[in-house]
Amino acid sequence: MSLEGYRQAALTTIDSLPRESGDWLIQQRQAAVRQMLDLGIPHARQEAWRYTSVDGLLRKEFETNQRVPDRPVGDLDTAPLEEPVAARLVFVDGIYNPGLSTGDGQPGYKLTSLRSAMAAGDRSVLRSVASLSGLGDHLFAAMNLASLQDGAVIQLSPGVVIEQPVELLHIATHRNGSHGQQLRHLIELDTDASVKLIERYLSVAGDSDYFNNIVCEISLAEGAEFRHQRVQQESDAAYHLSRIHIELGRSASYRGVNAALGGAWSRTELHNRFSGEGAVFEVDGLYTAGDGQLTDVHLDVDHALPNCTSREAFKGVLHGAGRAVFDGLIQVRADSQKSEAHLHNANLMLSSRAEVDTKPQLVILADDVQCSHGTSVGQLDEQALFYLRSRGIDGQQARRILCLGFAGEILDRFETASLREQIENDLLQRMRF
Amino acid sequence: MALSDSGVDGIIAEGYAEGFVTRIESDTLPPGLDESVIRTISAIKAEPEWMLERRLQAYRHWLGIEQPDWAAIRHPAIDFQSISYYSSPKKKPQLASLDEVDPELLATYEKLGIPLDEQKALAGVAVDAVFDSVSVATTFRETLAEAGVIFCSMSEAIRDYPELVQSYMGSVVPYKDNYFAALNSAVFSDGTFVYIPKGVKCPMELSTYFRINEANTGQFERTLIIAEEGSQVSYLEGCTAPMRDDNQLHAAVVELVAMADAKIKYSTVQNWYPGDSEGRGGIYNFVTKRGDCRGERSHISWTQVETGSAVTWKYPSCILRGDDSVGEFYSVAVTKGRQQADTGTKMIHIGSNSRSTILSKGISAMQGSNAYRGLVRIAAKAENARNHTQCDSLLIGDRCAAHTFPYIEVKNPTAQVEHEATTSKVSEDQLFYCRQRGLSEEDAVSMIINGFCKEVFNELPMEFAVEAQKLLAVSLEGAVG
Repeated sequence: MSLEGYRQAALTTIDSLPRESGDWLIQQRQAAVRQMLDLGIPHARQEAWRYTSVDGLLRKEFETNQRVPDRPVGDLDTAPLEEPVAARLVFVDGIYNPGLSTGDGQPGYKLTSLRSAMAAGDRSVLRSVASLSGLGDHLFAAMNLASLQDGAVIQLSPGVVIEQPVELLHIATHRNGSHGQQLRHLIELDTDASVKLIERYLSVAGDSDYFNNIVCEISLAEGAEFRHQRVQQESDAAYHLSRIHIELGRSASYRGVNAALGGAWSRTELHNRFSGEGAVFEVDGLYTAGDGQLTDVHLDVDHALPNCTSREAFKGVLHGAGRAVFDGLIQVRADSQKSEAHLHNANLMLSSRAEVDTKPQLVILADDVQCSHGTSVGQLDEQALFYLRSRGIDGQQARRILCLGFAGEILDRFETASLREQIENDLLQRMRF
Repeated sequence: MALSDSGVDGIIAEGYAEGFVTRIESDTLPPGLDESVIRTISAIKAEPEWMLERRLQAYRHWLGIEQPDWAAIRHPAIDFQSISYYSSPKKKPQLASLDEVDPELLATYEKLGIPLDEQKALAGVAVDAVFDSVSVATTFRETLAEAGVIFCSMSEAIRDYPELVQSYMGSVVPYKDNYFAALNSAVFSDGTFVYIPKGVKCPMELSTYFRINEANTGQFERTLIIAEEGSQVSYLEGCTAPMRDDNQLHAAVVELVAMADAKIKYSTVQNWYPGDSEGRGGIYNFVTKRGDCRGERSHISWTQVETGSAVTWKYPSCILRGDDSVGEFYSVAVTKGRQQADTGTKMIHIGSNSRSTILSKGISAMQGSNAYRGLVRIAAKAENARNHTQCDSLLIGDRCAAHTFPYIEVKNPTAQVEHEATTSKVSEDQLFYCRQRGLSEEDAVSMIINGFCKEVFNELPMEFAVEAQKLLAVSLEGAVG
């Protein structure tokens, strides 16, 4: 799809919005369309897109208009978790599905869909749209704002603590035809509020080639705590782009863990912003790519204030002709003294056709800081394999044990046991162990 | 940092010890660059037609490309038309011995602490001194000639060994490589040419001292070192420059070619004028350095100590083409005042079992900005390639900056690639420990910094290691506080 095609699609979406009711963010959408044109199509000469071609994406004609699911949603296998959840918001092909969803908001705890907030013109929700992301600093981010359809809204009042996790489940069902989904999740935790979120992307559509374009804005006020488990298990032909903006107030903490397993082309971008001192930002991730897959992680950790801590660890397992891109930037601005920032990226290559391009970066403008990054690329340790085989474990099993050992450090960060198990099984299946 | 300012400002105010101007008449082309300037340079140097053609080809390419803007450096736009592209000491002497060299020129070297006549006596060091753009003195050539080593200026090499120059120059850094390489290929003034024949271990360390002397004159050195099969050479490059208000452009190209089993060790101490405390003046140092390991077990090692220049843009690289070839990069880069350095290396692994080591130490003080930018690429064919990269940054003062931009591209699963980087300041604990043992704050900091750089200094030839330590001490004493 050309730039003009994307513009037309966005304009069509804007025109189709029901103007007579609600607040559909028309002006922001129009500004985002202009932004799309200003930014143009990402290309390899832009540092953030150096190793990640969007050619495949551009060749697709994704319909961005809302469509009815191909089949009755009641039949969908939603791969439920064994653990109880406080609420479950299910999005089928990018649209909130109340029938499949469970749980309601309570006093001090708002739970709704962005679409209904727009239809109701709920300013208490809509004022937050794009407050962290801005218009978007690349084509697809701007496109999300221009033609956003739906999303989850989670707002917690001061001191509200939700013990059980809230689940956001995205299911793609379209068997044929390319479908573009523009979702935006808004999460706001007021002072000392706390919640755990599970965010999952599944496909029951075999190898259909839809495009999930997600923006997530997470705003944490002073002392708020947020736990985030994200699992991307899109179809093997899908395109997936997640852009997550996180703002942390004084002493707030964000602890996230990501698993990116599916998709032909998948990219996760994490941007944080410290708005108060003493905040902690931690994120771990596991990614894997095999034949025909490209997986891409971008971190933009910005220490704009003193006394904040960040830690990131990402591990990749590459098999077949899989390609992985890792780009992790840590920035410590002038006067952000006593910052502590550590980033680690390790890649395991299991095949001679795999490729890894990794680029950790440090930009440090203050002196009283502790910052480090490390990255490595390697294969399974021959000696460890030999050791296992000498103990009577066959080669296949030995490789499996070592791979799981490598991924285990990240997998263990998934608090929800049944989710961790699902990821582990998917990982092993993908690597054909 | 809990250090007092005492005794420190004095050293800052001391300024640039090497800053002086030798008053010597020069033939200098008027500022500006066009084809006629290139023809004139070529004519002055009595170059053959093919050389002129190459220069013009590079110039035409240069006209069509843009100056790169990706480096973490900021400087006013360079007006390439305001630079004079050729300057030579007047009445170029035909030298049989040093006695014939202009005494004022010799005095310059003495002020720099490298008196040539004493250099002669120094065992094992031959000096090809470049004063502005023309080589005026070459020593020890006879000893080298006995070993079959060719060590001469690039101008002489073009005249005397055209076939070698023709086949090797531009084979490692083609004129299309980058903006500054294209410029250099068009207007290079002079430089050093070294040829080590098969199986010869160069009997002495080779050394060139560079010196920019003529105001507004760009210095465009061109160095080519060829080490034939099984040969060995160690080459030392050092530079100082006098104090100037106008920014001076330095765009050198260094090409190294190592055949099978050959070893080239290239060491640099760079101390060009860094500009005043406000960042005025100072050299813009845009250098393209690259070594090509063409055969099996070829070995190229870059060691650099960068303390000078207002802007440093320099990535000594290795193309590890041969199986079992080895590339090394050891660097200490110091920036203080308003200095900016964007430096690093590229290790391109093509041969199987090729190994590379990168050790980069960046020290930023005052408002200095230091960036490591490196690429490690493992090609699909490179079986069992190995790289280890270590980048450490030391920050002194709360207005300085340290950046690390490594790029790692791996297309072979048997590769083992590691990158580590840390950024920190001189730790209070270390300082306290040293102070407790009776060391002054300055001595303690100096000791800690020397320890920080030690692994790189160990790679320098002895006489350079001493000079480097001295330079570092002088460079940084002023900045601590």
